[in-house]
Amino acid sequence: MSWIREGELNFIEKLSANILKAGPMPKHVAFIMDGNRRYARKRQVERQEGHTQGFDKLAETLRWCLNLSIHEVTVYAFSIENFKRSKDEVDGLMELAKQKFIRLLEEQENLEKHGVCIRVLGDLTLLPLDLQQHIARAVVATRTHNKCFLNVCFAYTSRHEIANAVREMAWGVEQGLIKSSDVSEALLGHCLYSSNSPNPDLLIRTSGEVRLSDFLLWQTSHSCLVFQSVLWPEYSFWNLCDAILQYQLNHRPLQKARDQHREGQALQQHEADRACVADLLQHHGNGKPLDAQRRQEALLNYTASREERVQDFLGALQHKRDSFLTDLTSQAALA
Amino acid sequence: MAIVYEFVWQVLHVLLHIHRTLITWFRLRLRNWNGQLWSRALTALIVPIALSFPNQKNIVPAPGKRVGRRYRWGADGKSLEKLPDHIGLLIAEEEPRYTDIANLVVWCMAVGISYVSVYDNYGVFRRNNSRLMDEILKQQQELLDLEGSKQLSVEFLNNGTDKQDQQVLSCQSVLKVLSPEDGKLRIVQAAQQLCRAVEQREKTSKDINVTMLDSLLRESKSTPDPDLVLKFGPVESTLGFLPWHIRLTEFISLPSHVDVSYEDLFSALQRYASCEQRLGK
Repeated sequence: MSWIREGELNFIEKLSANILKAGPMPKHVAFIMDGNRRYARKRQVERQEGHTQGFDKLAETLRWCLNLSIHEVTVYAFSIENFKRSKDEVDGLMELAKQKFIRLLEEQENLEKHGVCIRVLGDLTLLPLDLQQHIARAVVATRTHNKCFLNVCFAYTSRHEIANAVREMAWGVEQGLIKSSDVSEALLGHCLYSSNSPNPDLLIRTSGEVRLSDFLLWQTSHSCLVFQSVLWPEYSFWNLCDAILQYQLNHRPLQKARDQHREGQALQQHEADRACVADLLQHHGNGKPLDAQRRQEALLNYTASREERVQDFLGALQHKRDSFLTDLTSQAALA
Repeated sequence: MAIVYEFVWQVLHVLLHIHRTLITWFRLRLRNWNGQLWSRALTALIVPIALSFPNQKNIVPAPGKRVGRRYRWGADGKSLEKLPDHIGLLIAEEEPRYTDIANLVVWCMAVGISYVSVYDNYGVFRRNNSRLMDEILKQQQELLDLEGSKQLSVEFLNNGTDKQDQQVLSCQSVLKVLSPEDGKLRIVQAAQQLCRAVEQREKTSKDINVTMLDSLLRESKSTPDPDLVLKFGPVESTLGFLPWHIRLTEFISLPSHVDVSYEDLFSALQRYASCEQRLGK
């Protein structure tokens, strides 16, 4: 399969994998695959060759992740900022992406066998139409697979993703599906492009840069960040093991921080619901103060109705997104 | 077989912990040893009168020396190719030491950094900001020989309220004390604000974009995003530090803020100066 290299680990690699797996393992790893162009300069080849080798390395890394039972991987393939690059380079990258997605579609049987689900996160409307259609076909074809997940961030920046999530919530308010008081951290998370995935446990950036470059800023607030100096096309199984080891060393404190944050979130939501109920009772009540039990009942009812509203809204949002992709595929079929 | 792997894993992690502890221990020993050496040289060369040796660490330089240091630190800042406009000090350790953090803040300002943010993921600094302020003013006096209120203005990001605890008339640097509430919660509050505007038909959903959200999340137009975050402590994570603002921030890790030295800070700044940001190009 072109996107996931075939092959097994050798003896020593398998041994190391088994030792690592005795400890906590990340379920979702995100990669910023940086260093293709520096690699090309180093090897004195064309930039495009650097990107191609970068893709091959992605295929190999996905194989290693599967061997290590890491079933979800998110990669930063193309940022909205990358459109600033020279026309030649951008066109080259679009062409590479197109070829890879076409190849992917030719390997449908293999994808089904391995249960690979491909998702593309980003503002697809910024891409050339033919690439949009190929992407839509790949995503729709693998939608129901559930053994492993590959999320490709293409025409993506985190700020755009967050702004888009706020826009979607505003759309929900416009459509009368939710109220502005329903807006919460959890709801915003569900409106991001990555809503179908858990937050990454581990974020790896190669080539020695120590910044996030607008990648998954919301989702990685409590993830383990590992910055490695190796260039992406030179990434090795041992680099990956090193990163996982870092994750294991940070596992407990991060778990504690995450749990604490979640508790804080739940408290916030509870307080917000209480405030809304108090407001409602004030406006619709008959002036007499309610006893504690009635107030508690009102709170439970409010929470239940809010959750129902939110579920309906998220269903409508998912439908909107699915329709966008299906429309693209039917356009492609007609063309 | 699984038991064997688990045993090897346990051994591996014990070794890694020992390794980490040894490194910390060596670093502290080396620091103290160097410190004593420097203090002794200073005493021998500059202060002819013999001071009592046991108090070497507590030697307080003469006022002239403090002014000398202030100018040296300022010169150090100018010597760097680039200096961050806004530095974040992320304390990812359980027990913060206020004196060390105050030192860091004072050094950052002396070197010429305009905005300094202090953050911990338990909100400790936010709750104890008056204690932090006192400590900073004390260290300013101690390290820079400046009258308390001349050098810095302190702003506390307060959710929703506009309360600003301004302590100065002329400010050269701005200190911000941050907690996790300034991160995702602020973004959610901005989202609620925009949705309310849509509910009241003042805006449509299509009006909402990155620029609009950014202007809501920026307390003032002049405050830049953090260029550099120094993370103190062994935990490799941003721990909820301003998710929106850190898209291009460089992250440099330092082992601990406890007994941190000016040299530690300066070498991190030197590292920052050599980073190349391509901004997508």
